[in-house]
Amino acid sequence: MVRVTAYAELHCLSHFSFGRGASSARECFARAKKNGYSALAITDECTLAGVVRALEASRESELSLIVGTEITLNDGLKLVLLAENKTGYSAISRLITQGRRRSEKGEYSLTREDLAGGLEGVLVLWIPDKAPNPIDGEWLKTLFPKCVWIAVQLHRGPNDQARLNQLLRLSKSLNIPAVASGDVHMHVRSRRVVHDTLTAIHHNTTIAEAGAYLFPNGERHLRTRKALSAIYPETLLAESIRIAERCTFDLAQLKYQYPQELVPNGHTPSSWLRVLTEQGYAWRWPGGVAPKVLKQIEHELQLIAELNYEPFFLTVHDIVRFARSQGILCQGRGSAANSAVCFALGVTEVDPARMNMLFERFISKERDEPPDIDVDFEHERREEVIQYIYKKYGRERAALAATVICYRSKSAIKDVGKALGLPLDQLEQLSEVFSWWNGEADLSQRLREQGFDPESKIMQRVLGVTRQLIDAPRHLSQHVGGFVISEQALYHLVPVENAAMPDRTIIQWDKDDLETLGLLKVDCLALGMLTCISKCLALLKEHRGIDLTPATIPAEDPKTYAMIQRADTIGTFQIESRAQMAMLPRLKPACFYDLVIEVAIVRPGPIQGKMVHPYLRRRQGLDPVVYPSEELKAVFERTLGIPLFQEQVMQLAIVAAGFTPGEADQLRRSMAAWKRRGGLEYFEQRILTGMTERGYAVEFAKNVFEQIRGFGSYGFPESHAASFALITYVSCWLKCHEPAAFTCALMNSQPLGFYTDNQLVQDVRRHGIEVRPIDVRFSDWDCTLELYPNNPDKQPAIRLGYRLIKGFQQACADRISLARQRKAFFDVEDLCVRADLNDAHQTLLADASALKGIVGHRHRARWAIQGVEKQLPLFGDVAVRDSPVSLPMPTLGEDMAADYTSVGLTLGKHPLALLRPQLRAQRCERSRDLLKRNHGSQVRMAGLVTLRQRPETAGGATFVTLEDEDGMVNVVVWQNVGERQRRVLLESQLMVVEGRWESADGVHHLIAGRLRDLSPMLGSITMPSRDFR
Amino acid sequence: MLLRARFRIRLTYDIDAGHTMLWACLLLPHLALDGVLRRHPTPHLPLVLVGGPQQRRVLLDVNEAASNAGLHPGQSLNAAHAILQHFIAIDHDPRLDERMRRFLAAFAYRYSSMVSLEGDDAIVLEVEASLSLFGPWPQFEARLREDLNALGFQHRIAMAPTPLGACVLAIAQDGMAISEDEHLRNALGRMPVSLSRLPEKIITALNATGIRQLKQLFALPRDALARRFTPALLSHLDRMTGVQSDPRELYRPPDVFEEHIELNYDIEHHPALLFPIKRLVNDLAAYLAGRDGGVQRFIIALEHENFPDTHITVGLLSAERDGARLFDLAKSRLEHTTIPEPVRGLRLIARELPPFVPAGRDLFDERPALALPWEALRDRFRARLGSDAVYQLNLHPDPRPEKTLRITPQLKKEPEVLLLPPRPTWLLDHPIPLRDYDLRILSGPERIESGWWDGGDVRRDYYVVQTSQGQRAWAFQPAGVNDGAWMLHGWFA
Repeated sequence: MVRVTAYAELHCLSHFSFGRGASSARECFARAKKNGYSALAITDECTLAGVVRALEASRESELSLIVGTEITLNDGLKLVLLAENKTGYSAISRLITQGRRRSEKGEYSLTREDLAGGLEGVLVLWIPDKAPNPIDGEWLKTLFPKCVWIAVQLHRGPNDQARLNQLLRLSKSLNIPAVASGDVHMHVRSRRVVHDTLTAIHHNTTIAEAGAYLFPNGERHLRTRKALSAIYPETLLAESIRIAERCTFDLAQLKYQYPQELVPNGHTPSSWLRVLTEQGYAWRWPGGVAPKVLKQIEHELQLIAELNYEPFFLTVHDIVRFARSQGILCQGRGSAANSAVCFALGVTEVDPARMNMLFERFISKERDEPPDIDVDFEHERREEVIQYIYKKYGRERAALAATVICYRSKSAIKDVGKALGLPLDQLEQLSEVFSWWNGEADLSQRLREQGFDPESKIMQRVLGVTRQLIDAPRHLSQHVGGFVISEQALYHLVPVENAAMPDRTIIQWDKDDLETLGLLKVDCLALGMLTCISKCLALLKEHRGIDLTPATIPAEDPKTYAMIQRADTIGTFQIESRAQMAMLPRLKPACFYDLVIEVAIVRPGPIQGKMVHPYLRRRQGLDPVVYPSEELKAVFERTLGIPLFQEQVMQLAIVAAGFTPGEADQLRRSMAAWKRRGGLEYFEQRILTGMTERGYAVEFAKNVFEQIRGFGSYGFPESHAASFALITYVSCWLKCHEPAAFTCALMNSQPLGFYTDNQLVQDVRRHGIEVRPIDVRFSDWDCTLELYPNNPDKQPAIRLGYRLIKGFQQACADRISLARQRKAFFDVEDLCVRADLNDAHQTLLADASALKGIVGHRHRARWAIQGVEKQLPLFGDVAVRDSPVSLPMPTLGEDMAADYTSVGLTLGKHPLALLRPQLRAQRCERSRDLLKRNHGSQVRMAGLVTLRQRPETAGGATFVTLEDEDGMVNVVVWQNVGERQRRVLLESQLMVVEGRWESADGVHHLIAGRLRDLSPMLGSITMPSRDFR
Repeated sequence: MLLRARFRIRLTYDIDAGHTMLWACLLLPHLALDGVLRRHPTPHLPLVLVGGPQQRRVLLDVNEAASNAGLHPGQSLNAAHAILQHFIAIDHDPRLDERMRRFLAAFAYRYSSMVSLEGDDAIVLEVEASLSLFGPWPQFEARLREDLNALGFQHRIAMAPTPLGACVLAIAQDGMAISEDEHLRNALGRMPVSLSRLPEKIITALNATGIRQLKQLFALPRDALARRFTPALLSHLDRMTGVQSDPRELYRPPDVFEEHIELNYDIEHHPALLFPIKRLVNDLAAYLAGRDGGVQRFIIALEHENFPDTHITVGLLSAERDGARLFDLAKSRLEHTTIPEPVRGLRLIARELPPFVPAGRDLFDERPALALPWEALRDRFRARLGSDAVYQLNLHPDPRPEKTLRITPQLKKEPEVLLLPPRPTWLLDHPIPLRDYDLRILSGPERIESGWWDGGDVRRDYYVVQTSQGQRAWAFQPAGVNDGAWMLHGWFA
């Protein structure tokens, strides 16, 4: 009978050691707890990216976490460093930062010199190789007196006893204590399958060829103490406990300090924030500040002071101030952004008086969570802001948050298949199967369709490993814009490493990690629509003499709302999608707050929570507006008794189920994570009992919980919706009153939004705006506005710019404009010579029909440029004679095809207008005529597929948008039809749909019964379609 | 080892200005596919030819059955798999095409002394001179078609006064025959530019300007064309219409070395054959030297009376021409050959005569004169024992002991060196039960758990044990089990 000794595992890799660890910290902690370990160290290789998750797992399993890292120096010496205390943690973090910052992304480089000064507060395990060099031991002993151990790691190798004896002898001769440790790579033995696969992936080979890198057995897991006791002498196991007891560091001890330099001498952060706020009064409230607002501001400042959040507001203010000084449009959003203080500071344009919102809802004393402000910037100019931050605070103190890129089904199957030796073309096919796989449909069927046998052994292996790999982290990437800025160098908190992009540095934690530790980040995000608005305002100023800012655009304009209610919103912000446009005529937004609701309601959260229809019915007066209780009326009145916003759900938990604000915040986070981690059960119980105790019916309580679950990670906060709604309103106002400038600016800000240039141009032409073709006599790189000289008040025409020509370069376009300013072009030769156009650009211009104004149709244009001499003519102006030729005119179809190929749109006839006679013969109706058909009629319609979308919330339905010469028709393809005619659905460019016409509340849908692919009719025309998941 | 195919080409033919010529074009639109199908056991099953980069392989050609199932050239292999579950996919091998072209050129050579390749997919032959033998043309043409059908090649045939003209006609319409220059020009004028066999780039450029028919192209001013395109365009048109002559590289049948020695007496024993063989080999060496080439493989045929020849094939890894070396190899092959009947005569045939690349010789070569270089040694082994009798043992780092040794036919000069844990000197092919009631465990367990990926997962605890006889053995039990049921896997020396 073996005696079981206490043990703490001091050397364990989680899957944040990419390509090496095969288990999550959560799995490791659960297993270690079950095995009765006394503590568990997570020692990922030269990274602390996994420690916050480890901390969460440690809290959950109530087993202490030791923070550490495994490093291998460039000369091969391998060590595990454990943080004894906070000083040690910072030392480790700094060392990792050093190793990572001097290397490519994903790599590190450390030498003995980096350790030469010793590391205070760090305990060191020496992982000796096969033939340990005593000199290494001596060196470590001098550097880390009383803080170094020899790790004895036995894994049922060829001769464990001999190895043990060797290391014990070494320990004795060097007088360095020995300790047992496990070199753990997985939590249980069966993970060796995943581990072998990761190893092969890591070394870019197949498992069969990876032999030299594979572990011969699965012993590197968290073994039972019984098993360990059978292998290790008791003293070695006991030593692990002694080390664990010395490591008292707790991640929660980390204290974060906001940067202080924004406060001038003589001021406290508090007084300075007040000064800045008051400076905004005159700007924001030129007529004087209403007493109610003053009171609100006073209240907010007090709350901010109590929570010591002034530096955060000052930081955001500083960034926004910089952007403003550079003329970069920006808009704050988030829990703290829509406050009166932020309005006064210029962080947001949402006038709190316009909304009935309370600041407590966004910042609360009890919740003790960091305030959340995201700032959106014009997407083309955000980099200026980022570089400003780096410059102002330095790279030691400012870095982007990381994003953990995880294995998705597609990437997992590809890597696993490769590791198991599937040929490349099969891999392509497999990942194709998985790219549209939502985890529900019959996978075996899909596999068979692609010629795979899902029952085969190899396929079973591939699928088995893939399932275990999905959601495992794969590498670190940079967060879209979340900055962490700190008073001290960041490495005191967390290691900093290089991102793939040059000039970018990231910390090793992602946004969830930051939130868990209460660290503060400022999100500097890029928003295309702000670019568009900025460009549109500039156009108005230049061409129309109208000087507007988002703040001075007239509010609550009835004409704008009328346009929104018609769903005439192509190109606008947020409410331009198909789903949004289907909602507008029903919801009929008539004021700003309606827009806030509109922005939030067409989201997966409310849709999955089944809140949309009840809300609509109440709004349309079909259902009575009732509240389950008087307290809840206060929470839900503004949304007619239906929870639509994340804040309301939290509020509901507080009011109806007796949650504390802190618990409500926990709930919010769990809502965001339950899909990944589960764990809502606890709250289910709390909500049910809490609500029934307070007299709510069980049914109602269950219903509420279902709604909360439906919200999942997609519940949209009111605070964000409000900021978005403002941008929505601005974009709608511009579209309504200045459609030419707005569309012009949209095209100059591509890519953004849902629609292609082609669709935007068609839409604006339907609104009576003239669009003129690209022409070297008039065009610039960007699209421009051209006024009517006789009627300057008329909406100007839009002149398309070279940016629409695929493959054209801006520098070249600029040369043309410049040369033209000096002197108009005499002929093609003159153009090519003076604008220094190379063959490729000449051809692009000819193909785009941009030379029509100087030489005529495309055929002539191409003939002309083919004849341009390759070198400058020897004698300046001597005309080179070229025999006149007669070339046939291009046909309508040829011109159209060339238009689409070159610029992606045609100003000539719509392709379907050309095909109409054939389509009529096939008894296909025009979309114009469909509008006259009754609800429920059987119809047949043909159109170009411009959009294919399969939202996760749609229960397997695919939404297709068909376009013909009159406009767009929304088609719904239910799952059964889609599965039956999958290829037609996915591959058609010109599709015929037969089905049922549904028409209600001014919203029309075609429910597909049968699909047909008529793409061959299109001949050489290729149409762009946007496929969305 | 693939042999390099070679073809001898005489540069041009002499142009007899006064003499009119007529050219037949044999267009082979499915040359590559036909080349595969004619040797395939099941040409009626769906079969496709595949090419392109690994990431995106596409169908280059499909046979009738595959076409009926909806597959077509240009399709990606993935798309094809989605349409049809089972079909035969064969990788396109350009070398096979080359062999087929050579083969068909040789076939055409039977009908004309002026045969030339036109692009990758056509063969042109001058037929005017042969009409008296095989004509008139309709008969001649029928004969060509009959032969090509028998050989299994789909084809289109046309005849015109110029090779290029014949080609364009063949592409446009099978069976066209035109013998007058002006008729040819008219007929060509009606053809689309895309069939002109002009470079793709030029065709695209012309199409872009609306020029779709050759007629339009003929009508354009020559100076305007010359200004825009390379002079090759005009030259191409002129050669096509016969305005300009079209000197072409002509096909010449490949060279073969074949020498024969008639013996005046019967030889029944090897030694007596050595002398005549030496002579033949020396002649071969001289011939090789004369053409500055080497030989890859040659056959010595021993001729008997009333008995089929005995063939001795001598193959080399790389081309050689040194007489002594060649004789050495021939001699050792001869020694392994049984002579069934007395030998009456000898023939040496060498068809594979690639260029010879001499091995680098260092002035200060330190190798002892008698030592054989590694490759020569290997050749000698192969020559003596047969090609498949020589292989190499390679270590493969699979954790499973039985998978660590691999036999590879490819001989690497230096086998990989691997660090392996201590293993027994003699590893049994298959573990066998070890029954010994007095086993003493010397070390272990060493645990091996591996191999799930190929279905051969093992989980074993290995021990070094001493048997009651005092031998040291390597034996295992299932991992984690300790019931004394031992399996023996090897012996230590």
